[in-house]
Amino acid sequence: MPVFNLCLKIIRKNWISISIYLAIFLVISVLLSTNSAPKETHNFSQEKAKLVFISKDHTPLTEGFRKELAKSATFVKIPDNTEKLQDALFFRQATYILRIPKGFTENVLNGGSMQLEKTIVPNSAENAYVDLSVNQYWRLAKLYAKHEPQLSEKQLADKLSANFSHNTPIEMKAQIRAKTDQGFSMYYFNFLAYTLSAVLILGISTVMIVFNKNDLRRRNFCSPVHASSINSQMILANLLFAAISWVILVGFCFIFDSKNIMTPNMIYFLLNSAVFTLCISCISYLIGNLLGNLRNMSAVCNVVTLGPCFISGVFVPQQFLGETILKIARFTPTYWYVQANDEISQLTRFTWTDLSPVFYNIAVLIGFSLAFLALSLVVGKRKRLTDR
Amino acid sequence: MFIHVFIYRFKCLIRDRQMVFWTLLFPLLLATFFYMAFINLNSDETFRPIHAGVISNAAYQQDQSFRSVLTDVSKGEDRLFNLKVASSKEKADQWLKSNRIQGYYFISGKELHLTVKGSGMDQSIMKSFADQYRHDHIAVEDILQTNPLALNHGLMADVSNHQSFVKETSGGSAEPNNILNYFYSLIAMACLYGSFWGMKEIIDIQADLSDRAARINVAPIHKLNAFLAGSCAALVILFTEILILLAYLHFGLKINFGNRAGYVLLTAFIGSVLGLSFGAFVSAAVKKGEGVKTAILMAVSMGGSFLSGMMVMNMKYLVAEYVPLLAWINPVNLLTDAFYSLYYYDSLQRYALNMGMMCAFIVLFCAGTYQIVRRWNYASL
Repeated sequence: MPVFNLCLKIIRKNWISISIYLAIFLVISVLLSTNSAPKETHNFSQEKAKLVFISKDHTPLTEGFRKELAKSATFVKIPDNTEKLQDALFFRQATYILRIPKGFTENVLNGGSMQLEKTIVPNSAENAYVDLSVNQYWRLAKLYAKHEPQLSEKQLADKLSANFSHNTPIEMKAQIRAKTDQGFSMYYFNFLAYTLSAVLILGISTVMIVFNKNDLRRRNFCSPVHASSINSQMILANLLFAAISWVILVGFCFIFDSKNIMTPNMIYFLLNSAVFTLCISCISYLIGNLLGNLRNMSAVCNVVTLGPCFISGVFVPQQFLGETILKIARFTPTYWYVQANDEISQLTRFTWTDLSPVFYNIAVLIGFSLAFLALSLVVGKRKRLTDR
Repeated sequence: MFIHVFIYRFKCLIRDRQMVFWTLLFPLLLATFFYMAFINLNSDETFRPIHAGVISNAAYQQDQSFRSVLTDVSKGEDRLFNLKVASSKEKADQWLKSNRIQGYYFISGKELHLTVKGSGMDQSIMKSFADQYRHDHIAVEDILQTNPLALNHGLMADVSNHQSFVKETSGGSAEPNNILNYFYSLIAMACLYGSFWGMKEIIDIQADLSDRAARINVAPIHKLNAFLAGSCAALVILFTEILILLAYLHFGLKINFGNRAGYVLLTAFIGSVLGLSFGAFVSAAVKKGEGVKTAILMAVSMGGSFLSGMMVMNMKYLVAEYVPLLAWINPVNLLTDAFYSLYYYDSLQRYALNMGMMCAFIVLFCAGTYQIVRRWNYASL
């Protein structure tokens, strides 16, 4: 099978650019897997805002205040320097900078109107959250001071701390959750879309472009090998390359996330990614037929892979994307692939009604594959006919 | 002669469509993608009124004070809750299950309970609110025990007085909108992509690198003259490209650069010179083929962009915090940081530092290139 062997040889020549994508993918996967520590979901845990606490006033009350605040905030240590604090706010290392001015305690207890100073990320939820705790503490401090003026500051702080130790009883309506944490698998398979697209387009399109060179094609036409044989060998080689790429990329998932291999969700993740591989192969086939030369290859490859990934929720989850953008994204197969992954990661039961949205998305992917395949056959045919 | 070479180099460069794609169209496309993907990224940190429920049972109807507090915080522009009153527990559970509410309150006996489905910011705020109500109660009982006369001194009025003990002071004149950093580092990347123009200039002037360079070397023009004319043409192209990118970002995508337009343009210009001189220096210093030169330039600009937060935003902060030296020698970060300080800081001190560092790099690269490129004679090629 000379054509088949030649195809594989061309792909092997291309391995450096392909392996760059693989390396990037591996690094990101490692980062993902270290970040996705399973969360405890059965007990209620209070959120904590990232807060910088700068106190110029040192009294028993401010100390008590700091302790109370620790229930709703984690303290970030940042030196009291305008630029450093601004930097921390910009990059969200802290979302609330609280400054207690000197003499604040005395002023409040005597009914004064001095205020704490905060620098915040405007309109943030954490701001509303911390404000509740801050105001509550000083409001009650003021209340006690007014109506029990005999209390010393120390006693007042103790009273407040005793009061604040009472908590609202919380009932958690336990959700029915997936058997294992599917978060990693979802991010992994979503990100797979980027690498898979890049690798397949680079590999398959390159082969096609080489074979579509005029001289080479004419030479092939007069060879004693039947055209259909040439084509089928070429398709076989491309499919083999696609299959190998898929196996390698999916294989890493088994290494990073070995505990989730046996979940039923994984079967659907695999199915979905396999159909996506097929779809991207068809796109690569089309690109290979459309592009005239290798020089434009990396430009086209970058645009075709990065574009859909950005707007379909591969790099940024779909819930953060705007309505209009998602509508545009529906015209790319990547959108449906990511949709299916999101659905799969939430599956806890596997009845037909639960699975039907997944299959719907996969069916759309198959539709895309057929459309691209038909298109590339038409383009290929036209090229052959017009080129005399 | 200078003008002549300049014009022909300009034509020669501008017709290289691939280069124009990578240095102009690619950043424009990437900016568009960034815009589409990131523009809503901060929407989840913005506070929106929480959908909260309360069960309207007999105890709730009796508790006048809780009812009024709850309706109070569910009114107006900056309300805390969008309150939904459920007639029964089943109804509230149903709402909770279908995510129509984040949680619900109910009073049984004298105690206020909260039911939620998971942990999160909304639920934590709901809990804080409930705690507040509980703490108020305890405080009142506490005070009345030691000082029963407090009621006559306006205790109840004081409890329901919700004055604010904290006021906002802004850190600077600009909002900490962290999305901007993606676009600043993108401009920086585009400037550094300009290094490909620098590389092209060197390849076309060093006689051992290309046929065209060999031809130019036998022409009766001083090599430095030809090189300067070519570099000027490249700089004009690159700076125009960066200006187009800036215009697109500012007028098309409404990216905020602060109020100091003159400085922004100056930064763009210095960035272009930096990119160009960097490319020239690397391709003069590295004696390998074009592939290797391209790979090095690519690695530095992409690696530099990564470290200045183009892919992961916090990277810029982490590098500045833990490996400050790396932040100061990374040309992409210097440029990003210059745009960032122009936008974010009121003082120009950090901006000046960045610009100074960039100028030092430019001097280094130009001097290096000059030393390597000058005075080469070839016995044969």
